Amino acid sequence: MKKTRLFLISVTISALILSGCAGFQTSNNDEANVNEEGKTVVDFWSFWGSELRRPIIDKIVADFNASQDEIEVKHTYSPWGDIWTKELAAIAAGNPPDVVINDINATALRGKENQAMNLSEFTGGDFSEKFYPELWNATLYEGDSYGIPFNTDTRVLFYNKDAFEEVGLDPEDPPETWAELEEYAAKLDIKNDDEYERLGFYPLWGVGYDVWLLNANGENYFGEDNNTDTVNINTERNVEVLNWLKSWRERIGVDVVNAFQAQIDSQQGNPFFSGDLAMIVQQPTFYQQISEYAEDLNFGVVQLPEYEPGNGHTSWGGGFVAEIPEGSSDPEAAWKFIEYLTDQEVQTYWAVENFDNVANIEGAEAAAQSGDLTEEGQMVYQMAVESMENTLLTPAPVEAPGYYNFINPQVDEFFLGQKTAEEALAQAEADIKNLIEKNQ
Amino acid sequence: MGKRKLTMRRKESIYGYIFILPFIVGFFAFTAGPLLFSLAGSFTDYNITSQMDFIGVENYQSLIMEDGLFRTSLWNTIYYVAFSVPLTTLGAIFISSLLNQNVPGIRYFRTLYYLPAVLSGVGVYLLWMQLLEPGTGMVNLLLGWVGIDGPNWLYDPDWTKPSLILMKLWSVGGSMLLYLASMQGVSKHLYEAAEIDGASRGRQFFHITIPMITPVIFFDVVTSTIGGFQIFQEAYIMSGNGEGGPANSLLFYNLYMWNQAFGSFNMGYAMAMSWILFVIVFILTIINLKLAPRWVHYEGEEK
Repeated sequence: MKKTRLFLISVTISALILSGCAGFQTSNNDEANVNEEGKTVVDFWSFWGSELRRPIIDKIVADFNASQDEIEVKHTYSPWGDIWTKELAAIAAGNPPDVVINDINATALRGKENQAMNLSEFTGGDFSEKFYPELWNATLYEGDSYGIPFNTDTRVLFYNKDAFEEVGLDPEDPPETWAELEEYAAKLDIKNDDEYERLGFYPLWGVGYDVWLLNANGENYFGEDNNTDTVNINTERNVEVLNWLKSWRERIGVDVVNAFQAQIDSQQGNPFFSGDLAMIVQQPTFYQQISEYAEDLNFGVVQLPEYEPGNGHTSWGGGFVAEIPEGSSDPEAAWKFIEYLTDQEVQTYWAVENFDNVANIEGAEAAAQSGDLTEEGQMVYQMAVESMENTLLTPAPVEAPGYYNFINPQVDEFFLGQKTAEEALAQAEADIKNLIEKNQ
Repeated sequence: MGKRKLTMRRKESIYGYIFILPFIVGFFAFTAGPLLFSLAGSFTDYNITSQMDFIGVENYQSLIMEDGLFRTSLWNTIYYVAFSVPLTTLGAIFISSLLNQNVPGIRYFRTLYYLPAVLSGVGVYLLWMQLLEPGTGMVNLLLGWVGIDGPNWLYDPDWTKPSLILMKLWSVGGSMLLYLASMQGVSKHLYEAAEIDGASRGRQFFHITIPMITPVIFFDVVTSTIGGFQIFQEAYIMSGNGEGGPANSLLFYNLYMWNQAFGSFNMGYAMAMSWILFVIVFILTIINLKLAPRWVHYEGEEK
């Protein structure tokens, strides 16, 4: 009996030890990873694996490698759903990649939690001036940057010029204010009995209620620099905006809204392409779909209308940063690559090839002039650049991570008619204040 | 003891242990370790990278006492389990008894009904999102033909969970196969004897078939209850932005846990959540096991 047990235990232990040898091999992080040629290897992770994007980023990486004697960047594609949890696990295990493309909105939080490296030792001088200030500010935690803005987006209004002409509106004079937007939309409607042959506009396609709140307020719910001492959710203006949004839904009818929504979701069946919808708010990259599915569409593009004259054409955007995870084996080499990625030349290349908004101001402006874009492409890109000046980001304050999980459901209930706008916003504000208190 | 030969029985048990050794090693290295770690972590403010300070039962306290979303997510999950488990079980038994008949082409029917179980994952969810589209989806189109004005399915908080349950019902093929196998194993003599005694088909079903397959029903109920509490992907994909909307009606327990862990990096908090879920599921399973002898019939069991 004893012998049996001894035997069993020894087998188990030796098996455990063997599995331990295989499982817990870790590389030594104090030394940089070096390849056979003696070059420092920079491990670069992105989620750009699509047919469109993969060749572009691979070309950018290859160009960088060709220009370097001592650094070699190795690009690894990781799917959108996995990349950041993988990164987190790698950081926790002490063996992270050296450069990762990550969400700009959580950059400050990742800085606070020691996931991303403080880049202030590299970003001295006027480095930050290369980028749109709103994007740069979103990367700061206690004044230091934890990621360098790479690409971004904004929201603009696309409109059908032929439809404008048809109803006697000047196609070169798109709506500037919410009042004009409403007026034009009503003119553009063509209604037979209960069926809409053409719909002028509906504000909640392409963007959510939050973009309209942002547009009306010119700021997010929190105080300056995202401080959480003030929370402006349950305000008179917000109540008014929500009710305004709902009035569209009531005027047009829920069934019509749902039917159009389904077509918009299906992409190529977008009613804007067929002329059934005269105006829609979208990202500038929407132009790519137009050129693919509706080549002959005569359209114009303009900044979001303003709440009232002089209030500002505030739009909303997001974007991605290149960051160095905490524990990277060679931050200097990683930084060289980030510097290259976010420099004007690469940014313009990325912008033109992908038709994507980039964070580098000169890069974006050069892209708008690029001869590689069609005339229409240049027009849309130029508008995107102009809209960027008025584009705000809504990163979560570090004291209120995931704050939208508290406001979205309340607003959902408002639109479903289960709550008034006041009730919904009051509840959301109370919940978010509670959240802030918990995280203080 | 010395050189005494091992008995046959002992030898066999040693072989047994050697055969399951890979599992034991894997269990200790990859399951038990992380399990204990998460238990320890649930009493800290662990955030994966920078802090792991002991904070006592604070996580549990604020979850149970203060966190409204925790309650919402638990309620959503219980709702889902309470409806989906009985419905899918009944559905699977119903279909398998239909497919247990001897009619021409039965093999094709079996294949057909099993097919949805083969398909899985995100593709199916996206497909169902199209089917459930209120304006243009197939489901409402069919309902329209019989004069029913279909609901807004995934856009109406009252209908989102029923939508998922409907989708689950569509893929009962997996457990159907279990029931079918078990029904085929029921001895023909029993039915013959019943027929001679003049029992109708209905009575045969309720007094022979059902009791004979109770072990499989038991197994199915236990595993699908546990599986039901772990619902995540469906909500993550089908609530559009992955936040559990509209109106938090698809904010299931694991989705909220995931958001806490990987959205807000409150890993300690999420670990506490996972342990609460573990306790709930554990208690339910114990209850199931205790109730089982009252209704589960094992052939050849000594009473």
